[in-house]
Amino acid sequence: MRDNSWLQTTTGLVIVLVAVQFLTGVLLAFYYVPSVDHAYTTVSYVEKVVSSGSWIRSLHHYGSQWLTVFVFVHVIRLFLDRAYALNRIQWIAAILLLGLVMAAGGTGYSLPWDARAFFSTRVAEGLMAGLPIAGGMARLWLLGGSDISPVTLSRFFALHVLVIPALIGFVVVWRLFRSQLAELFGPRDAIVGALVFVVLGLWALKHPAPLGPPVAEAGADYLPRPGAQFLWLYQSLKYIPGGLGSIVSVVLPGIVLAVLVALPWLKRQRLIAGSLLGLGVVLVVLMTTVSYLSDRRDPRTAQQFARQAAAEEAWRRQPFNPATITLAAGVTASGGAPEMYTKFCASCHGTQGQGAQQGPLKFPPLLDVPSKPRRSVDDIVALLKDPPAYGLQPPMRSFSGKLTEEQMREIAEWIVKLKR
Amino acid sequence: MTVETSRRSFLKFVPLAAVFASIGGAAFRFLRPKLSAATDAWLDVASVSELTGPQPISRKIVAEQITGWAITTEDHNVFVLPAKNNQVVSAICPHEGCEVAWEQNTNRFSCPCHESYFAADGSRISGPARRGLDPLPARVQDGKLQVQYISKEQATRA
Repeated sequence: MRDNSWLQTTTGLVIVLVAVQFLTGVLLAFYYVPSVDHAYTTVSYVEKVVSSGSWIRSLHHYGSQWLTVFVFVHVIRLFLDRAYALNRIQWIAAILLLGLVMAAGGTGYSLPWDARAFFSTRVAEGLMAGLPIAGGMARLWLLGGSDISPVTLSRFFALHVLVIPALIGFVVVWRLFRSQLAELFGPRDAIVGALVFVVLGLWALKHPAPLGPPVAEAGADYLPRPGAQFLWLYQSLKYIPGGLGSIVSVVLPGIVLAVLVALPWLKRQRLIAGSLLGLGVVLVVLMTTVSYLSDRRDPRTAQQFARQAAAEEAWRRQPFNPATITLAAGVTASGGAPEMYTKFCASCHGTQGQGAQQGPLKFPPLLDVPSKPRRSVDDIVALLKDPPAYGLQPPMRSFSGKLTEEQMREIAEWIVKLKR
Repeated sequence: MTVETSRRSFLKFVPLAAVFASIGGAAFRFLRPKLSAATDAWLDVASVSELTGPQPISRKIVAEQITGWAITTEDHNVFVLPAKNNQVVSAICPHEGCEVAWEQNTNRFSCPCHESYFAADGSRISGPARRGLDPLPARVQDGKLQVQYISKEQATRA
């Protein structure tokens, strides 16, 4: 039986946290839908309606950050124990796990498809595009096309939910087959693992995982921030001139991980690993602290974060807003939007008249319009023919040539029934 | 088993059991199904003036249901039965849920799946179905026949 001191329980701790990520991830997959029109709705549903949903999602969100930290601590512990020389497989497995856990965190951040997810996807796109030689190709492969699209979300989903967990599974199984699980996982591992889980569980009860506004509703002043495990990278990118960003944040970490994996076969092991890990710790701690402090010291940034937090708090208090799915062949009778509304109006004013914002353009909601002056059914029909006569400006255009009088009337009669 | 190893496995088992029990309890609540709420809206079936002749009349109603994270709008076939004072029945066969069709030449409803047959008043004639076609709550308002949609599962429970 191995000498199981308290300092060596990082193995057990990592095993418990990986198990928590797998379990909560599987649970979230029971509701989550990886499509650009339903991802946000299903995540909101988990947050607001499903019992324990907010806790499960928060466990998964903060658990991924804690796991990254503890895998890093585990690697440092193995370094101090000279595992790279004494137990190669243990060392290599830990380094691979560190890379995979970071990759899981990066891809998972895109899945809720809220504003922060969108920006994080944008940054991943930019980092890929800036890679030397194959940058353009890497970007296309990551996005699945020339732009961020529904295909991109499916790719991040497949990587996060199938590919990376499978690789983590392989690494863990490979590691465990080489040693007895009973030797690896003693009572102290179980106790420390459970204690950390209790703290994580209480944290997750108190702090629901953040969810930004939907991409379409985020204002131009929205300030996104990455997950805590990527703050150091985010902050570092501020100091690196344009094209070098990809080198520093993708190529260099890749080389560092590759060198650490190859360490058992290298000479001067202690010097190489010691300096790489030491630099890593200094960089991560320094940059995370700088990022944290600068966000709080700058009054305008702090104010904007306060506004965003207030908006998220208000959103949490609003009732859940379900999506509308039409399985009917010809819907006009009860509540569904008229066919012609869906065809011509919904792309700007929303499928249920909720309005939208696209960049600087604001498309007003069509809810409660009868309470406004000059918005009877007859007025709306006339307005559809001649918007300027009602004081409306482009991009609202006339539909005289597109719709018959009857179709306009059908749309108008449906719109006046829409309530907030 | 020595006292030492059993103490070790106990110390290992208890904390892990606590972790997985708390996630397991939350998982049970998390996965518990939510019954869909039918909206109690009255849906137009037809104008009373259209309902003439002895034959059952096939109509489509579009019902909304709140199911999980979506409001689902779905078509449902119903029949108005002049033979039974314009009662409205669901076209869903009460056996296994296929849609029955009206056969004019034999004057009966037949189910394409397992050959259940129903009379013009919706009552069961023969086949594996154990009851007649399910009637829907109906009323006449402003000269229009209206129904509330009730799913088969709800009708079975009632």
